[in-house]
Amino acid sequence: MKKIKSIAALSLAVMMICGMASCGNTESNEGGNDKPATSTGDETKSGDVKEFTAFFAVPGNELDAGNRVQEAIAEKIGAKCDMKWLTGQTAEEAIGVMIAGGEYPDFVDASSGMQNMVDAGGFIAIDELWDNYPNVKNFYTEAQWNSIRNEDGHVYIIPQFGNIWEKDTACIHNDEAFWIQTRVLKDQGYPKIETLDEYFDVIEKYIEAHPTMEDGTPNIGYEILCDDWRYFCLENAPFFLDGYPNDGCIIVDKDTHKAIDYNTTPTAKRYFQKLNEEYKKGIIDPECLTMNYDTYISKLSTGRVCGMVDQHWDFNDAELAIKAAGNLDDCTYIPVGVTIDKGIEEHWHSGSALDVSNGVGITTSCKDPEGAMQFLNDLLDPEILTLRNWGQEGIDYNVGEDGLFTRTDEMRANSNDQAYINANLCPYAYFPNYVGMDHDGINACNANYQATEFYDSLSPEVKECFDAYGVKTYVELCNTTTENSPWYPMWSWSNALTTDSPEGKVWTEMADIKHTYLPQVVKADDFDSAWDEYMKAYEDKIDIDTFLNAANTEIQRRIDVAEGK
Amino acid sequence: MFKRDPDFGKKLKNQKALIFMSIPFVIYVIIFNYVPLVGWLMAFQNYKPKNGLFHSEFIGLEKFKFLFRNVDFIHDVRNTLAMGVINLVLSTVAAIVFAILLNELRGVIGKKFVQTISYLPHFLSMVILTGIVFDVLSMENGMVNRFLMTIGFIDKPVQWLAEPKYFWWIVAFANLWKETGWNSIIYLAAITSINTDLYEAASIDGAGRLKRIWHITLPGLKPTILILLIMNVGNVLNVGFELQYLLGNDLVKSVSETIDIYVLNWGISRGDYSLGTAAGIFKSVVSIILIIIANKTAKAMGEESLY
Amino acid sequence: MADFNLKEKASANKIVRGGIMSRRTKGDMIFDTINTIFMVIFTIIILYPLLNMVAVSFNDGLDALKGGIYLWPRIFTTKNYSTVLSMKNMGNAVRTSVMRTVIGTLSATFVTALLAYILSRKDFLFKKSLSLLYVVTMYVNGGLIPVFLVYKSLGLTNNFLVYVLPGMVPAFSMLVLRTYMNGLPDSLAESAMIDGAGHFTIFFRIILPLCMPVIATVALFTAVGQWNSWFDVMIYNRMSDNLTTLQYELMKLLSSVTNQKSNSEVMKNATGTVTPTSVRAAATVVTSLPIIILYPFLQRYFVAGLTIGGVKE
Repeated sequence: MKKIKSIAALSLAVMMICGMASCGNTESNEGGNDKPATSTGDETKSGDVKEFTAFFAVPGNELDAGNRVQEAIAEKIGAKCDMKWLTGQTAEEAIGVMIAGGEYPDFVDASSGMQNMVDAGGFIAIDELWDNYPNVKNFYTEAQWNSIRNEDGHVYIIPQFGNIWEKDTACIHNDEAFWIQTRVLKDQGYPKIETLDEYFDVIEKYIEAHPTMEDGTPNIGYEILCDDWRYFCLENAPFFLDGYPNDGCIIVDKDTHKAIDYNTTPTAKRYFQKLNEEYKKGIIDPECLTMNYDTYISKLSTGRVCGMVDQHWDFNDAELAIKAAGNLDDCTYIPVGVTIDKGIEEHWHSGSALDVSNGVGITTSCKDPEGAMQFLNDLLDPEILTLRNWGQEGIDYNVGEDGLFTRTDEMRANSNDQAYINANLCPYAYFPNYVGMDHDGINACNANYQATEFYDSLSPEVKECFDAYGVKTYVELCNTTTENSPWYPMWSWSNALTTDSPEGKVWTEMADIKHTYLPQVVKADDFDSAWDEYMKAYEDKIDIDTFLNAANTEIQRRIDVAEGK
Repeated sequence: MFKRDPDFGKKLKNQKALIFMSIPFVIYVIIFNYVPLVGWLMAFQNYKPKNGLFHSEFIGLEKFKFLFRNVDFIHDVRNTLAMGVINLVLSTVAAIVFAILLNELRGVIGKKFVQTISYLPHFLSMVILTGIVFDVLSMENGMVNRFLMTIGFIDKPVQWLAEPKYFWWIVAFANLWKETGWNSIIYLAAITSINTDLYEAASIDGAGRLKRIWHITLPGLKPTILILLIMNVGNVLNVGFELQYLLGNDLVKSVSETIDIYVLNWGISRGDYSLGTAAGIFKSVVSIILIIIANKTAKAMGEESLY
Repeated sequence: MADFNLKEKASANKIVRGGIMSRRTKGDMIFDTINTIFMVIFTIIILYPLLNMVAVSFNDGLDALKGGIYLWPRIFTTKNYSTVLSMKNMGNAVRTSVMRTVIGTLSATFVTALLAYILSRKDFLFKKSLSLLYVVTMYVNGGLIPVFLVYKSLGLTNNFLVYVLPGMVPAFSMLVLRTYMNGLPDSLAESAMIDGAGHFTIFFRIILPLCMPVIATVALFTAVGQWNSWFDVMIYNRMSDNLTTLQYELMKLLSSVTNQKSNSEVMKNATGTVTPTSVRAAATVVTSLPIIILYPFLQRYFVAGLTIGGVKE
């Protein structure tokens, strides 16, 4: 009994303490009980700085309160924005809940919930306000705005990415490719690799000569990631192998502008047959079909995997781990633009393209739309752009006599330290921004695009490899001569498909079938019968014409928009 | 609903206090648990977020028809049931056995230590648990493959996660590892209510440890075991999705997908809220039917029941 | 009166337990040996992955990606912990987490026990229907959006109460408590009733004290649930920084680390790095600690009171 009492007394005490603590808390809270979500522009804090709120339905980093660059920008333009990001939920869910409640932060990027948000009338029409805000209005050309307009003719969102100022200055091929380690290339005397067969040939020879790494860990010739949505690493190579760009869902014939299904082409069969052969030979990791993304990254991180198909951003963590190891500098990857046969012009690298399916908008809950427009406009001011992208002069970068920005080792290190970034840097990443050149015409838009900065930071092994192929950046290893077509990228169309439409249904069925059969095809003892089985199921279940017709309509629509019709 | 009771009026009067006390509980449960069920309307509509719950197009039972004609859904129901039953049986037995054995363990320090360790895995996230499972089952250095090869049971590593036939068991054992200690807490608490006189009497009669466990501890635990069992029978379809989703791959897709994953795929990723809700309703209805059966059975046997 | 009887009984038990101890048979010895061996193996199986996780949490993130870390970190660092501990809104998060755990647990346990008491009265007329009303809640759910709309109309968005009110009467806890109360002798309440005690008196003075082991159990379950939850924070209080909790901030931290596009090529110069795996390990250790520390205080109710082992408190 005594104990029970003492516990009760203790808990009561704790409760009271917390109660007191909460008093202060609730009071401060009461006033704004239903407000914080929609705060606004006219409430002023710390001088006359307007505070906006934003929600971006993608994962991201929240900045620390009092972030240095954020404050610096606020001082110049008299406004700042508190940004929240997606966590533990899908974009549709998060946006669905907001729509149901009818309350939004001032700015929203709804990501894949965009169309729902527009349909629900959550955004205000930006084109009705933009006349006084030239930076916003001139952010895109008239033709580009036309492709962004909603069916009702209004512009509700501003796509933030891929808007190039002057010229593309990308140094990294941040896209998909067949990747291969520099040690493999060096071992074979930096051969020229043009076809799929040559690629695997090089790897096979290397594995034969070096079955293990120096420390005895067995080398893995080739890795296939096919975990959930990341199975593009297994399935989408066929259109690249035929020399087409990453339209994602289909091949678009350059002359007829008609969609072609890449899943059933002869190239697709040859590609999977090759994978099947290599799997049987043991060049491909036998565990690849069951491993998840984490396992994949950890295998790559040991430096033992010679090659794979992937998007660079997808295995970036692994490459960072390899670099950080110190003794694995010959294990980083370079892209090779292989095709199925010689003589096909490869098209693995595509320049930045306008993705009209996503963007940031001002919501109907925003109390000060003019202020919000002013904020967007100010963020595109050249001086503010430099602050967003480079930081503050003397702290985050130095300026040379020629006006070229450089960074010390310490500055570079800081720019990689997440804690430092959160406290000091403020790129306002999901607000409209330019890539390519800085407005000063001398520097690139940010440090990662600055060629001199970039080359200086490469390891000797990569430099040696670059020299052997006569290039200075990763991008130069790829063919960059082809311009983007007006319909590119078609994935912005297929990504937005839902099962409401017939083509959307077909699109989901295609994914289901590929998920089910492709791993079987890769590991099959008898490739031909497995392939035939796959093709039979594919033909039985997939109404490909519906899908292609819808794609054709969209291609034509995009061409018309681009031509200003 | 009520059986005719001649003293009904009188009882009602006598129980004024109890009835008064239960009113807030009725109001509470209706507001917080039953009003939101309005959301079930979605299953009968072609729900669109822009139209909201009250202005979406009414489509009747179409979504349900779609569900029951969909082979994937039928598969997922089968998988869910299978995993649910395996989990139910294994986890109940393991938790009871563990609680009893722990109770019998000599020495209070060891007892406390083992118990503290045993519930810790409960705090690991599924992602971490999956990582552990991958390590243990790995072809390259996995503990299981190494062990089986050492004792000569297999001569080359088995790719456990590529074989549909192992999948349900892998999930069950992973769950067992994570939750046995945690689940046993409730049984340990129940053991404290057993009248110690009984043990004394038994040992005077010369009953050994196993006999005492069988004749005293287990019967003493019976009400708790039954209540939890009935509840969990209702939960058979709630095997979740995280573990299956994280451990699964395209090779075992046919056995790894659960109803929850189906709802996730259709309801969320593909934006068909109505279908997701329909699947959810299906689950609720099955659960309720299952507990009604379980409860009736328990009652018929004169045992503790849920209501 | 009832109290007195119980005490007497308890002391009698202690004597009896001593008696049992002194008469260990050969069968008992075999049983104990096997049981001890089993428990040792069990503990190792459980403990190893946990220690491994602790080792990873003290290891450099990128290095840990390579695997091969067992019970000891390879490249020692406290960076993972500093990342976790330096997360945003730490003060608010800890305060809200503690508050919701304490207030939520105390209120839910108390209220649930009261309902269990009502439902454990043998001849209560609405026993069956009220029980059913609660049992059903375990298996039905209106879905995210309808629930959100209801809570919003109750003014529970951007409000601390959303952590406490909706989970106030978990049916599961109620059933466990009720089962235990049903097992108590009826005579206790009856004799008090005859002495003129009301329901509240019986509940507080007789039933609650007797139910401590099971009260501790459901309190623990509720507390852990409260401590670990983040979903309600995200749905209802996303934009209110002062209502954030530890677990939600951790979720945000994890997803931002996962998302971290360290796209620069100058990683070598970076001073140690964190990865989702390493941060998750550290976060798990950090958030489990309070419960691990709290546990021994509750444990006495499940372990020390255990009957046969002859354990003296």
